[in-house]
Amino acid sequence: MAISRFSYANVRVMDLQKAIIHYTDTVGLRLVESDDQRAYFQADECQDHHCVITTLSDRAGIDHVGFKVNDPSDLVEAAEAASAHGLAVRDVPLGEIAGQGPGVMITLPSEHNMLLFYHADKIGYAGGMHNPVPGVSKNKIGAKVSHLDHTLLSCENAQPTVDFLTEVFDFSCTEKVVDPGGNIIAAFMSCTNTMHDLALGPGPNGTFHHMAFGMHSRGEVLEGVDILKEDEVPALEYGITRHGIAGVTTIYFHDPSGNRNEFYNGAYQSPGRPGLVPPIIWDVENFSRGAFYYEDAVPPAFFDEVT
Amino acid sequence: MGLKHRGILRIAYVRLGLNDNRLTQSLNFYRDRFGMLESMRDSERAYLRCWHETFQYNLVLEQTAENQLIEIGFHLRDEEDLDQLTDKIEAAGIEVEQSPANEPLKGMGRSIAFTIPGGQRLRLFADMAQSGYVTGFESPDWVTPRELRGTAAPMFLNHVGLTSADPGATIDFLANVLGFGLSEKIVSEDGKTLSGLLFRMCRDVGGQELAIFPGEDGHLHHIAFTKEDPNDILIIGQYLREDGINIDAYGPTKQSYGNTFSLHFFDDMGIRLELCCGGRNIDAHPESEPIIWTESELARALSYYDSDVNPGFLDHSL
Repeated sequence: MAISRFSYANVRVMDLQKAIIHYTDTVGLRLVESDDQRAYFQADECQDHHCVITTLSDRAGIDHVGFKVNDPSDLVEAAEAASAHGLAVRDVPLGEIAGQGPGVMITLPSEHNMLLFYHADKIGYAGGMHNPVPGVSKNKIGAKVSHLDHTLLSCENAQPTVDFLTEVFDFSCTEKVVDPGGNIIAAFMSCTNTMHDLALGPGPNGTFHHMAFGMHSRGEVLEGVDILKEDEVPALEYGITRHGIAGVTTIYFHDPSGNRNEFYNGAYQSPGRPGLVPPIIWDVENFSRGAFYYEDAVPPAFFDEVT
Repeated sequence: MGLKHRGILRIAYVRLGLNDNRLTQSLNFYRDRFGMLESMRDSERAYLRCWHETFQYNLVLEQTAENQLIEIGFHLRDEEDLDQLTDKIEAAGIEVEQSPANEPLKGMGRSIAFTIPGGQRLRLFADMAQSGYVTGFESPDWVTPRELRGTAAPMFLNHVGLTSADPGATIDFLANVLGFGLSEKIVSEDGKTLSGLLFRMCRDVGGQELAIFPGEDGHLHHIAFTKEDPNDILIIGQYLREDGINIDAYGPTKQSYGNTFSLHFFDDMGIRLELCCGGRNIDAHPESEPIIWTESELARALSYYDSDVNPGFLDHSL
């Protein structure tokens, strides 16, 4: 069948305890399990085991991104297709990552590792699976994150990865930023009916730009900003803003190791298969309005700071 | 390669037949007050779309002797899916009507239509003409177009609610034959399925494209459209009321069932509409588990903010 979800991001952190405090008390995720090397978190409105893994390391950045397929035979097929494209592939056995079944790790042309897997253990929605409390409990600590929405990975040339994701993994490109020569500066790729599950932007290969947490309202993004300020979390100087690209409400901030996070609210919908709708094209002249709609300027740190 | 999203990709449109001379009253509602864009008009029909949509229509209106839900349209990946689903539907013992391109609706490729166990007609197709984004495709402003401000200005068609005498049978057909997943259901004390929410893919405002409620076969319960967030819906509720539009007794509420923030109201013909945002986050995977509601919790499931079940809420509206 196909890739059904952007499931999780495994980010490297230099201090596991600080990461746990950040992703629970500030971001508002549930801590599912942890040991001295890794911690696993899930948002309130997801039923799988985790949407974020933090792995102890000597540097920040992205270890890998996890995508779920909805047929076990997809794993064999994906591995063969990736090998045929000359990409490195390795099997990830059951037990290497808690809370999920075996998978295949594929190194994309952008030098990011993408793990495909079929099975995730279920922890249920935070409100329960039977007669649940809707919305967020009054006892909730941290921001009102619904789910992990998307990630943006940085690379020197997005084109080969865009091609691979489109042709082999059936991603649609909803919007892209191009230079005057038509080369892709950034591409927003969806494997579902969302605006993007995986985006690619400029930077050194294999680096991490951000992961975004979805919220149900602009009001919850605002509340999230208050929590960031109270917790003295370093955030982008623009505070809350809107992306021209996708037209969504957003704020960027960093975890204690410097990995960028985003709170995000938007209703954008995409048609679900590549090539059906032509992508929106942003030219360089309009890019600053696309990135930051109100400010119409991009702070240099926005692209310089990747992990 | 088989790593493709196959089958139904998206809910495309609702087609209504209305006893409305030259569609004057219904266009006044859906275009001028509700805020949809008129993509095409001919002597038989008006084709309307939501402002964020590139495909030519989300709502088709045509003049008929009696008000009726004619059909709901779903977009498939390709012609191969159309053939495969034709075989599957016929194998389930359901008669399939084949239609050539541009019949009965303009701008559509070859299609099939059939009646689901609950009595409503669905149409499946793999190709629909696009009007293009009203914002254009080049460095757009993703902002509600000025001419639509002050109306509901829905962004997308979100889902359609249907009534069914045997909801369980209808849900089984939609899941087993058409490939829908079930995000939530309501069960009776003896375990019978009374209602279900069915979806095809993960979305940001999602968890349902079809909602099946108990009731008479063949009817429409409501049509729901997407808005950005509750703030929008609260403000638009004021515009609708100012415009004399009949708001459902629930008013704006959190619908625990489906996890949306919703406002239900009625068009001038009495058809129930909904603006919604949020929604259950779920992925199209065989291991995804539905939320289960028990009938005794119905009041809280339908509206978290109201203490009584609104007596008319489960009635069909067309």
